[in-house]
Amino acid sequence: MKISLKSKKAPAINHSDSGSLLNPLKNLQFLVRKPITEPLQPRLASLNYRGFHLNDWQACVGCASCQKICDNAAISMVEIPSLPNDPVKGIRNHRPAIDYGRCCWCALCVDICPSSSLSLSREYVHTCDQQHIDSYFILPDPNGMHQQHFGKGWQKTEHSDLLSLTRTAMAELEPEKRVDNFDEIVDGFTPEQAVLEASRCVQCGMCHDSCPTHMHAPEYIRAIWNGDAEEAVRQIYRSNPFAHTCGRVCTRRCETACSIGIRGEPIAIRWLKRYAMDAVSHERIKEIVNENFTAKSSGKKIAIIGAGPAGLTAAFDLVRSGHKVEVFEALAHAGGMTRFGIPDYRLPFDSLQQDIDIITSLGVKIHTHCRIGKNKRMSTLQKNYDAVILAIGLQQGRQTRIKNSEHRHVYRAVDLLQKISLGEKFDLSHSVAVIGGGNVAMDIARSLARMQKQQYGKIQITLTALEQQQHFMADPEEIKEALEEGIIIKDSCGPQSCEIDSNGKLIGLKTWKVTSIFDENNRFAPQYDEQDEVVHNCEAVVEAIGQYSDTSLLGTELTEKLEWNRGRLQVDENGRTSESWLWSAGDCVNGPDVVHAVADGHKVAASIEQQLQLKTK
Amino acid sequence: MSIAHSQNLNVLLQEIEGIQLTFHNPRRLRADIAAEALPALLALLRGRASYVHLSAISCVDWIDDNQFELVYHLWSYETSVLISAHIRVPRDPGIYLSVFDIYTPAAFFERDIHEMFGLYFEGSPDMSKFILTEWNGPPPMRKDFDSEKWVMETFSWQQYHPDWLQELEQQGGGIVSTPESIRAGNRPMENKS
Amino acid sequence: MRPENYQAVNHPPSHEFELNFGPNHPGIEGNFALKVKLQGDIVVEARTDAGYLHRGFEKLMEDRLWIQNIALVPRICVPDPVPMEVCYSLAVEDLANIEVPERAQWIRVLQLELSRIAAHLFFFGGHAATTGMYTPMYWGVADRDLLLDLFEELTGGRIYSIYNLPGGVRQDVPEGFLQRVSDTLDYIDGRLKDYDNLFFTNQIFVKRARGVGTINQQQALDWSVTGPNLRACGLEFDVRRDDPYLIYPQLDFDIPTEQAGDALARTLVRRLEMVESIRIIRQVIKALPDIKGPLRTPIPNPLAWRVPAGESYARVESSKGEVAYYVVSNGGEKPYRVHIRGPSAMHAVQVLEKLAVGSRLEDIAQTIFSLDACPPEVDR
Repeated sequence: MKISLKSKKAPAINHSDSGSLLNPLKNLQFLVRKPITEPLQPRLASLNYRGFHLNDWQACVGCASCQKICDNAAISMVEIPSLPNDPVKGIRNHRPAIDYGRCCWCALCVDICPSSSLSLSREYVHTCDQQHIDSYFILPDPNGMHQQHFGKGWQKTEHSDLLSLTRTAMAELEPEKRVDNFDEIVDGFTPEQAVLEASRCVQCGMCHDSCPTHMHAPEYIRAIWNGDAEEAVRQIYRSNPFAHTCGRVCTRRCETACSIGIRGEPIAIRWLKRYAMDAVSHERIKEIVNENFTAKSSGKKIAIIGAGPAGLTAAFDLVRSGHKVEVFEALAHAGGMTRFGIPDYRLPFDSLQQDIDIITSLGVKIHTHCRIGKNKRMSTLQKNYDAVILAIGLQQGRQTRIKNSEHRHVYRAVDLLQKISLGEKFDLSHSVAVIGGGNVAMDIARSLARMQKQQYGKIQITLTALEQQQHFMADPEEIKEALEEGIIIKDSCGPQSCEIDSNGKLIGLKTWKVTSIFDENNRFAPQYDEQDEVVHNCEAVVEAIGQYSDTSLLGTELTEKLEWNRGRLQVDENGRTSESWLWSAGDCVNGPDVVHAVADGHKVAASIEQQLQLKTK
Repeated sequence: MSIAHSQNLNVLLQEIEGIQLTFHNPRRLRADIAAEALPALLALLRGRASYVHLSAISCVDWIDDNQFELVYHLWSYETSVLISAHIRVPRDPGIYLSVFDIYTPAAFFERDIHEMFGLYFEGSPDMSKFILTEWNGPPPMRKDFDSEKWVMETFSWQQYHPDWLQELEQQGGGIVSTPESIRAGNRPMENKS
Repeated sequence: MRPENYQAVNHPPSHEFELNFGPNHPGIEGNFALKVKLQGDIVVEARTDAGYLHRGFEKLMEDRLWIQNIALVPRICVPDPVPMEVCYSLAVEDLANIEVPERAQWIRVLQLELSRIAAHLFFFGGHAATTGMYTPMYWGVADRDLLLDLFEELTGGRIYSIYNLPGGVRQDVPEGFLQRVSDTLDYIDGRLKDYDNLFFTNQIFVKRARGVGTINQQQALDWSVTGPNLRACGLEFDVRRDDPYLIYPQLDFDIPTEQAGDALARTLVRRLEMVESIRIIRQVIKALPDIKGPLRTPIPNPLAWRVPAGESYARVESSKGEVAYYVVSNGGEKPYRVHIRGPSAMHAVQVLEKLAVGSRLEDIAQTIFSLDACPPEVDR
């Protein structure tokens, strides 16, 4: 940019002595000049002034980023018991308190604040005598230091915002390249991307607090940022032996709680975990896990029913405490729902197998094809083991029980997913309607779409669900990817019946428009607009509306002895049932969630450990 | 800077043995040379090139290498190029030559470096204390002097206990993390939840 | 040295006696002392005594995040803080290879020149006081306050603006700000004639300052004199022109010089520089509304920002001379070393010690002040 303004050179100053006696008379001109006066009264500071701190307590989440950026170490975090404390939402009842003996009013705390709750006021003055020196330590609220509303001065703007709110992009397969195969969709971070993404973290620890198993996410993110993937693995294994699995399919409450997510995209904590696990060789991970583990024997034996995340996590903990652990798995492979419920494109079997391999390498014995109640009795376990954990998960698909739903071309999603994962043949229909809006519905719809593409070259999948699309239980990413892959989503559709032609062939799914799902007491009671009826043409219907647990393995005698709560086994806060030798953990207690199952596994393991210690004493 | 100038300079600098030149940008030239060759380089730049302005002498403590790096920043008003001459001297015993006879202002920088880093310059006119007249500790700019630790040992902090804090403490709240705990790298939520 | 640490020394009989100028003396801005040895009223030896304001900035900066240092650097030179911020930012930007958006560069120039005028106003007020004229001091300080008002409006702080970050500036120019800058400049421009009458051409001052503390051209170069003090010796050197930074090459301005090299010449150069700064700011006011674009190149999360390993030497022309930052990074989240080359340290120590010798006691304050050294920056 060229400036057109050519300005004149300044005239030189003549400082020679003009020497007139009359010179002092020049000063007479000041008699008529307006004097410079500054009124002696408080003046308001500028609109941008960096005065005293204001903090909007409604917006503040207590993340302590202000404390970390403060270059004068002026900020203490103070717990205020009367404020809400909700780790799941990422809200802590901590608020910053500021030492004005140290503060230099640089406003970096304002500019970094993830929740934008901090600002500085337009107030100039605070002073006191030595007696009232405590007034230099203040807990900023929205009213200002002296409860006089001077209004906001310095506030964060788009220019001064110090956080990086956008996620580091990660390569993934294009829809057309992924829809005819079961290859994993996302590539995972490259080392450079991982460091960049990790650098966005402000180390507030909300992720740690919100995680069911309290993973040390701030520590492993920090380690990744330091380029030390091995340290990251060490931190991950402090609380989660299903690291490969959770690095791919975790429900990631951490990212919901993440402070950066208040105004921007949360840190990709799940992908960072995956990056760390993939960056370190399998053999090295084994060494790291074994670092502080010395084989010793307590002489105690523990039986675990179900080789899913809950059972195997408990096994991991217990075997490290020196107990002999045996896991009984009814199916052909360990892994539970992560093995048979999650398709390969989200969680490759190899990754899951690595997690399981590390657990078995510690000495956990897994008996596959061993169904309790059939191959072995509960009473045998009770007799031969010091403790038994029931971690059988939710294997049975719920049914809609609409008209004609007993037709042989009406399937349960979990059954089909299991068949697909075992490579069992089944009659793949040319067009399918899926009922359900959760992750399982997405999994089955997208798996079938891939198989249709492979076998028929054409995808005809319609997914119907009661909810509106924005209220689906499924992960928004799943919905987006399903749509990209050509799956048709019909939301607010309540299934009414399966239509069958005169030859007994399934020809469609009839749905009514949903007007509301819950009644005024928030109970499930869907209302329909019967006029708005649609028949979705299809040759098969898949129900993906939830799962339940098959507890028939317990046997009648034990079932009657145990306490139940609405069809679920009643357990105490440590996962222990009313029988002193039996604990229960995982999805069959909490409902479906991998990381919750892991947390549960740790919990019952700790409870058993405590119990066994008591017994020894 | 003109090409002619730069060629002249290159020819001149070839007289110094073992010199390594890197242009960071057209106005910043880095020269790495052996410590023994520095006075010759400076004499040459001052006497035969136009580098009359000693902008600064910086000292960097590379404690892991057990070396001090001395950087002589020289500016030429004619070529408009800043030459930074880098040398390394052993941290122990920490003695080097003064270049006061070539550049008068070096006396100030050498005195400053001696005071802050403990690097002695032989032949410098004044190696007496300047800023830290009443300081008897180790040279503070050395990396092994922990100023924060010294501050913590020497000074006490103002302790506050205002009414609002006492009230919160009665309710079961109160300070959960002090700034010092953060600076020491302790994460307070470890003991939470 | 603190009084309690004085030791009684028995000097041999002598005609010389020692006198301490400072550390609290109206002839010196800030806490700083000059110990002079006198024979009659002629100085035979002068030694500076600094350290009263030593805060160890260079050490502190090694223990702070790259961005946190921005809150420290303006404190190094209180009367003219902006060059410190800009110079540190320039060095870090060079290290991290960050391009500063054009609009931010213009705003930086605006601040730098406003700060220069403010510093010169402060200087001339103070300098007048050394000759016993107190009215100019009130005028200078009062008019400087108008510029501080502008700083408050732009940056949120009157003195320590903490407004430049590596990558750009923190906030945009407020609504109507440029008009208010223009009005203030008009006012100051109008006042220049008054300043001249009162001080710069006032024979009380002129006759006292002429010939005091004269530096010739050779000495100026030998002693690494920079800034207005160098230009007062007839040498037209200015970092803004010789080693240009920001958008100075696009601006039209002159570099005023004087020939005499004495206290009077140094003062007059500063008086002329105020006019040049006003010229520059007027160009910025004209150009800035048409320069769109971001204010800052985003940097990564400052809590986890690593600047690539390397070194950078950034130079800026402050109101007192050449300010330079030598910043070394070892690739960490904090600087490995920051060396601050301040003009005052050079002028107040080695130049002053030489100039004072041979001068009369009554001229010492003039000599010190005309060099416009800033003690906080000497001590760092």
